[in-house]
Formats: sequence, C-alpha cells, structure tokens
Amino acid sequence: MSDPLSATMHIASSGLQAQSERLRVVSENLANARSTGDAAGSDPYSRKTITFESEFDRAQAASLVKVKDIGTDNAPFLVEYEPGHPAADENGYVKMPNVNVLLELADMRETNRSYEANLKVMTQAREMVMRHIGLLRD
Amino acid sequence: MIEQLSGLSSATDGIMKSVSETRYVTTPNGIDGVGGVEQVSFTDTLANVSQEAVDRIKAGEAASIAGVDGQASVQQVVEAVMAAESSLQTAIAIRDKVVTAYQEISRMTI
Repeated sequence: MSDPLSATMHIASSGLQAQSERLRVVSENLANARSTGDAAGSDPYSRKTITFESEFDRAQAASLVKVKDIGTDNAPFLVEYEPGHPAADENGYVKMPNVNVLLELADMRETNRSYEANLKVMTQAREMVMRHIGLLRD
Repeated sequence: MIEQLSGLSSATDGIMKSVSETRYVTTPNGIDGVGGVEQVSFTDTLANVSQEAVDRIKAGEAASIAGVDGQASVQQVVEAVMAAESSLQTAIAIRDKVVTAYQEISRMTI
C-alpha cells in the first residue's frame, strides 16, 4: 500500500507531462500554420492531433494519464489562389495547411487551465504533507 | 548534505544504545523477555527511515542533474526534488525529537 499523498503527486505529475506534450503539439500546429509543400500541387503540413489514455500504475495502485497517440487531422486542406507561389498547381491554386489558428489558441488555453489544475493538486498535496511533518516538530 | 544525513543514523544509533543500556541495567529482565513476537529494535527502524531519506535525496539530486543536462522533464525534476524535500524535513523532525528525548533523560534527577 503506497502513500496516497505521494501517489497524488505522481498522478498530478503525469497530468502535467501529458499537458506539456499537448502544448508541444499545439505549438507545432501554430508554427506550421502557413507551411506549404515545395513542389507544384504537393500536400502542405497537416494538423497534428493528440489523444490521451489512462494507464494503471501497479506500484502506486492509481490511474495515471499518458499520451495515447499523436495523429494527423484528415480534414481537407484549404486552397488559396496564389499563382506566383512555388507550390501552386497549373491553375494557380496552393494547398494551405488545415490548421485553424483560432482553434489552436482555444486548445492552448484549455491546456493551460488543465496544467494549472494539476499544479494546484500538487501544491495542495505538498501543503498537507508539510503540515503533517510540522505536527511532528512542535 | 548526504554525508551529514547518514551521520544522523549513526549518531542516533549511539544515543539509542546508551539509553537502552541504562534501561537494561535497571531492569535485568527487560522488555525483550515479554512475548514471543519478533522484535524490531527502534534503532533499526530509525536507521531504515533515515536510509530511505538518503535514497530519496540521492534520487532528487540525480533528477536535478538529469534536468540540467536536459535528460529529464521539469515535472520529473520537481517531483523528485519535492519527495526529497519532504523526506529531509521528516528526517530533521525525527532527529529533533530524538535529541529532545535524549536531553530529557539526561536532565532527569536521580
């Protein structure tokens, strides 16, 4: 039987890691929001998606969270008319990434909130442990 | 830091031995004779606890070094260092209690 408070710390830590991975994916999508292909008519950068799953940790007897998969979004690419672009096809259209910047920013906000919540759990657990040790002191 | 902490277990070891010796002289058929239950001495328990604390602090330091190298994530470093911190605080609190107990006994009027 492991200590529930240290298990709490471990679970919150796994949540923090999962959320930072999510932020990494968001930043990749944002940075590549205008990345096109280099040959005429070639596919541009396609948006990445992240999914999570719960993983049972036997040592702590608790469910941790971990990244299940980083996949790609199958939504159709946006097309822009830009005849001078190196990736333009014979009609002058360029395929642009299927990244919606507004959506990515909303996702980033949600990541931030989730990270904050996990951090708060960690602070709370630490405070409880420290208060208990303080009991031993005086 | 770690050397000082491992010094704690040996120091308390000495205190506990001297205390239990005093008790042994006054009561020849001491507590050891009572019951057939396997006895774990308080000194051993204390040594185990402090050894655990030393291990945690070592893990915390290893994680910090890995973090500086860029091998471990910030979350892992913080978790390990926090575990080390709480272990150290516990060890300090227990040491203070043991020293206080020793002083209480040494102040006893005979």
